[in-house]
Amino acid sequence: MEGAPPTAVISTRGLTKHYGPIHALVDLDLEVRQGEIFGFLGPNGAGKSTAIRTLLGYLLPTRGGAQVLGLDIVNESVEIRRRTGYLPGGIALYDSLTGEEVLDYLVDLQGRAPLRRAELCERLELPGSVLRRKVRDYSRGMRQKIGVVQALQHDPELAILDEPTEGLDPLMQHAFYRLLDDLRNDGRTVFFSSHVLSEVERLCDRVAIVRAGRLMAVHDVDELLARRRRRVMLRWRGAAPDPTTLPGLEDVRVDGDRIIGTLSGEVSGFVRAIASPSLEDLTIEPASLEEAFLEYYASDDADEGSDDPAADQPAEATDR
Amino acid sequence: MNLRLLRQTLRWQRVRLLVVVVAAIGWGMLMPFVYSQFSGAIREMANSGAIPEEFLNIGSGSLFSLGGTVTLGLQHPIAIAMVGIFAVGASSTAIAGERARGTLEVLLARPLSRLSLYWSILAALLLAALLVLVAILAGMVVGAGLVGLGEELDVGQMPLVLLNGFGLWAAFTTFGLAASVTFDRPGPAIGITLAYLVINYFLEILGSLWTDVAWSQEYSLLHHFNPGEILAGDANPIDLVIVYVAALVPIVYAILVFPRRDLAAPA
Repeated sequence: MEGAPPTAVISTRGLTKHYGPIHALVDLDLEVRQGEIFGFLGPNGAGKSTAIRTLLGYLLPTRGGAQVLGLDIVNESVEIRRRTGYLPGGIALYDSLTGEEVLDYLVDLQGRAPLRRAELCERLELPGSVLRRKVRDYSRGMRQKIGVVQALQHDPELAILDEPTEGLDPLMQHAFYRLLDDLRNDGRTVFFSSHVLSEVERLCDRVAIVRAGRLMAVHDVDELLARRRRRVMLRWRGAAPDPTTLPGLEDVRVDGDRIIGTLSGEVSGFVRAIASPSLEDLTIEPASLEEAFLEYYASDDADEGSDDPAADQPAEATDR
Repeated sequence: MNLRLLRQTLRWQRVRLLVVVVAAIGWGMLMPFVYSQFSGAIREMANSGAIPEEFLNIGSGSLFSLGGTVTLGLQHPIAIAMVGIFAVGASSTAIAGERARGTLEVLLARPLSRLSLYWSILAALLLAALLVLVAILAGMVVGAGLVGLGEELDVGQMPLVLLNGFGLWAAFTTFGLAASVTFDRPGPAIGITLAYLVINYFLEILGSLWTDVAWSQEYSLLHHFNPGEILAGDANPIDLVIVYVAALVPIVYAILVFPRRDLAAPA
């Protein structure tokens, strides 16, 4: 595949969903490429689930359209779901059945063999003794694990996961992350919504940020991480250099022999500039995606000054 | 229609279905016994004027003939409750219940069209209602034989009785399922379907007890299933048309509405 342009597995054009006066999703233009893990990031009520549910045929678009796996979301929804695995947010299962019966029933309806079930159950620590228990006796985390297995057991080309790590303990979250890494390595595409920024940072190749039903930006995660500001603290032996000469350093505060500030942009130029035998200590705090996200929304707040989901003026999107 | 879904829906109903079928056979067997034991006494009471004339025919049935008793047995609240468990209870909660529990989400994540889901559930529920009806009628035939009244019952007319009765209960089943595809919670769907049944029952009983409003019976679906008349060879084809049209209308509604409904995330 090297050199070939990546195929769009999900492609939306002006996808819009209104519930009466509420504009749940407004003019969503998005492309998810084959073989990537794509994060769909936004606060609660941003329109993430609406977008997913429209892609899978639960909701009909008010206007605009989309293709999933090259198939139209309105007219070919059944075929889309045949080739897709979906984990709904806060999944509900049949309490009167055992975990195994639920998985059998759902894969039976899927009409495909459960090629990955054994592997998934092993990696998510769902032994036979657990699978033979009634779902009503499961904890929230166990239900979520069954949800993950039912979404992926038939080895779908595309996995659409709505808040997939909800209810999983940290160990299981990491097992799940490794699972998604392996799916990507196998050429599968994963589209997942989350408001947990650390997992988006850990997993995703690209991330779309949505707010109030509008797409704010689509970024390469690496690029987003590179752009964000980092907190920097320098301590010097002897006289400190003029902080205004240090490239990328802003909001500078001198406190005795320490210089504290924020660094934006490339780190390498800054490190070259401070390289000196007088430099006694250097701390560059590992900035998280969360900070970048909050910065993003803070600046947007200033621009927009409104959080009304029904607002008519789209916020300016960047990096699209 | 999806056979896997049909099978699973029936599997989920199997214990309830088994219990109701056994009860239905028992209820059916009881009717000829009641007729053989009490018909004469009630006739005497009627002749003496101890029972007001209006009370001699309850609904479309009576205790003065085996056919009338069969009708009475099939219009009795116990028989209505037995078939209604599936035709009203299960139908109105089928899809709205899945929706409220959130399991409709995982179901529709499969390559199932909403129509396929609808037809599969409808088929399972109609089959369940049919089985209960067959059980009641079979119980009646067996009961008539046991009390020595087998010759009074024209078994050759039973398929027509079954066809008419199935049409009647199909009308309630399709109505319940139409309500079920309309609402996100089972409460309103059950309420409306139950109200529909009660209104039909009320119109039928009211017209039989109060002769001034006898016309109200014509507006009750229950009135258009009269096994007594069918067994007597007086079947009215219009009754068949009415119950099957009443069954068809909610189907048309459901197949128009359900595929176009937005299924927002459950609360």
